[in-house]
Amino acid sequence: MLNDITFGQYYANNSFVHKMDPRAKLLILVTIIVFIFLAQNAVALSLIALLIFCGVFFSKVPLKMYLKNLKAILPILIFTLLINLFFTSNVNTQPSWSFELFLGLTITNLSLYRAFYMAARILLLIIISAELTYTTTPNDLTDAIENLLSPLKFIGLKNVVHTLAMMMTIALRFIPTLIEETQKIMNAQKARGADLESGNLIERIKALIPILIPLLISSVRRAYELAEAMECRCYNGGEGKKRMKQLKYSTNDYTAFFIVFLVCATTIAVNFIL
Amino acid sequence: MSILEVKNLTHTYDGNTPFFSDAVRDVSFSVQQGEIIGIIGHTGSGKSTLVQHLNGLLKPTHGEILLDGKDIWENPKQIRMIRSKVGLVFQYPEYQLFEDTVYKDIAFGPKNMGFDDKKIEIVINEICEIVGLKKEYLEKSPFDLSGGEKRRVAIAGVMAMQPKIIVFDEPVAGLDPKGRADVIKMIADYRNKYDATVIIISHNMEDMALIADKLIVMNKGEMVLFDKTENVFKQHEFLKSIGLNVPMVTQIMLVLKQMGMDIPDDIFTVDKAVEFLLRLAKGGNTNA
Amino acid sequence: MNNIIEVKNVTFEYEDGDKKDIILNDFSLNIERGSFTVILGHNGSGKSTLAKLLNGLYKPAFGEILVDGISTLDEDKELEIKSKVGLVFQNPDNQLVASIVEDDVAFGPENLGHDPLIIRKEVDEALKAVDMYEFRKSTPHRLSGGQKQRIAIAGIIAMKPDCIVLDEPTAMLDPKGRSEIISTIMKLNREYNITIVLITHFMEEAVQADRVLVMDDGKVVADSTPKNIFSNIKLLKDVGLDVPQTTELLYLLKKGGLNISTDVISIEESAKKIYDAIHLEEK
Repeated sequence: MLNDITFGQYYANNSFVHKMDPRAKLLILVTIIVFIFLAQNAVALSLIALLIFCGVFFSKVPLKMYLKNLKAILPILIFTLLINLFFTSNVNTQPSWSFELFLGLTITNLSLYRAFYMAARILLLIIISAELTYTTTPNDLTDAIENLLSPLKFIGLKNVVHTLAMMMTIALRFIPTLIEETQKIMNAQKARGADLESGNLIERIKALIPILIPLLISSVRRAYELAEAMECRCYNGGEGKKRMKQLKYSTNDYTAFFIVFLVCATTIAVNFIL
Repeated sequence: MSILEVKNLTHTYDGNTPFFSDAVRDVSFSVQQGEIIGIIGHTGSGKSTLVQHLNGLLKPTHGEILLDGKDIWENPKQIRMIRSKVGLVFQYPEYQLFEDTVYKDIAFGPKNMGFDDKKIEIVINEICEIVGLKKEYLEKSPFDLSGGEKRRVAIAGVMAMQPKIIVFDEPVAGLDPKGRADVIKMIADYRNKYDATVIIISHNMEDMALIADKLIVMNKGEMVLFDKTENVFKQHEFLKSIGLNVPMVTQIMLVLKQMGMDIPDDIFTVDKAVEFLLRLAKGGNTNA
Repeated sequence: MNNIIEVKNVTFEYEDGDKKDIILNDFSLNIERGSFTVILGHNGSGKSTLAKLLNGLYKPAFGEILVDGISTLDEDKELEIKSKVGLVFQNPDNQLVASIVEDDVAFGPENLGHDPLIIRKEVDEALKAVDMYEFRKSTPHRLSGGQKQRIAIAGIIAMKPDCIVLDEPTAMLDPKGRSEIISTIMKLNREYNITIVLITHFMEEAVQADRVLVMDDGKVVADSTPKNIFSNIKLLKDVGLDVPQTTELLYLLKKGGLNISTDVISIEESAKKIYDAIHLEEK
């Protein structure tokens, strides 16, 4: 039953990374993303990459899952690579070599360097984000965001934070239900001869009306019933609410924080030295 | 020739879908014109998957569906036209209503099937009589109707395509007794008027005993019985072993039999039971 | 005080544009603590409105409703009333808030601001009470209708209510789900001593109740023990209620001249009645 949460990207396992506090993972993600862009040279970037690959190793998520993720963004990656390769303007430094392909498209050592950097950064960004979503359930993420944003209540945004978290929770709960419902309505209209597959763009959009209207009506009805049910369960906008699952940092999290701190400090040092 | 023939139908879902789906394994049966066929079985026994093959909503993984002797997937581009030959009314069909008037909503199916306006009008008048919708309802919004009335409109929307075979998935679910009786009656009326074939999925054995000529019993994706209704209900022990019941009145008869009374095993409706028991009580000849 | 709920001369109107529908008119009712009451009525008989009035979700236009002595009109006591009288609805899907079972059950106690450790205990106990503890980490959309509905009930039990009002909890379920819910309700009443008000249009669900009310057109037309109610089948049929085949059979035999009463529902009891009646006749 533990493996039941198939929604989202979550890959159920019991690794070091899975067991970390979602807040710690979220904070580390943000830190690493910042440092991916702060790293100024190959050594610094390699250090960050090493840290990320250690994370991948400890997450015990099969490599093929990460590759699947990369495949999806391959077009974007290639696009960035080409843009940087051909359209890097060099203001300060003269390139030590250059090579003209055709139509005035030129590759220089600087543009090659830069293209490689951008590609590497995007790759690392994707991998580290995937690591978070593979090891953290959407529910835990919601809790972490609510918790991390909770200081906002001191500047009068208490309701905003709570409402946002409640919306995310309900969305996660109802997305599968609504997908199933959409499928049902589509089948029902197809059984009445609705043609969803052929025709030009306008015809196709028109063909969606018999699906969207029942879906909308049913969603409104669900929302209304859910609101009543929530009221019956003493919901009053999060006033005085306490959570059953209290997030708690453990030794694992502190260890991870410490390692990330070390790597980041080294990165800054390397940036200056080289 | 049978109007509908299902041959070695197998349907497996690929493992990627996160939802419950019921597979169907090697199901074969044939249906004659004008028959009322009941399908019984647990939730998850494959009933819904089975019936979604009959109008081409699902494509068999193996096997074929023959309509008037022709494979419905012979020309996949024409599969949409099969839906006016085999109508399918889903569970809680009122959730599919979307037009601003009842008339337009009922006309959606026939229009898709290429009926012209004149014919649509004639058909809608006929169908409204069958489902008991008054003329003044046709210009109302379907969303202003009561639950039972919405159900009628939704059923009319499928009937208006005048399918020769009409399939119902739990047509009376969620209705009160009056609404249930009405729906059962309109199904019978439709069949009588158009000499149509009817297939009904239901959990309600009492309803099945009343209307079904034959029953298909599904268990874990397989068809375990297909026979005349009385022959299926005679096998109460087997049905019990797969968690299905015979009608309550039949269960009473079985207990009476155990108590030593001389009870025939073909009593499935209350009317029949009353007739038999009253005759027995008055000391008449019970064998008549 | 022996009544957990007292409904005193309540009138409730439903306004739809300029049209006014009176759903309940001068309606009174007491629910005894620890009892199991079934309210029978067809769709539109006013029973769902009554359910929503009992925990203050709807407020009466006239009259008042006392829950454990507190009026549902008392706005300061709203949460207290809703935690004392829990409401379970027809569609299990539209009552569950969270995508993990135990998080959903925790929703009520969390809103009440209970201590996290106590919430944990309340959630575990509630899930055990409905026999769903092993599914605590599961996600609702993977469960059957009956299981989802039991989670909805657990979500109410976790608030430690004195009374649970269930509004047609079995209407959307298959026979298996239906019997799961009925046996859960029985267990809560008998073992946990929770007052139950079950609203339904299935007469057979009323068999084990202490008291059965029959509602029609916003009024109580009968109020007695199941036995007494079931011996008056004509009344049930007149208000458009579901009569199981067992009862129907006894009723028709009686009409056909057999000396037989219709106050039982189970298969065995019905068979016994028929057996006795026929043998009496033969003598």
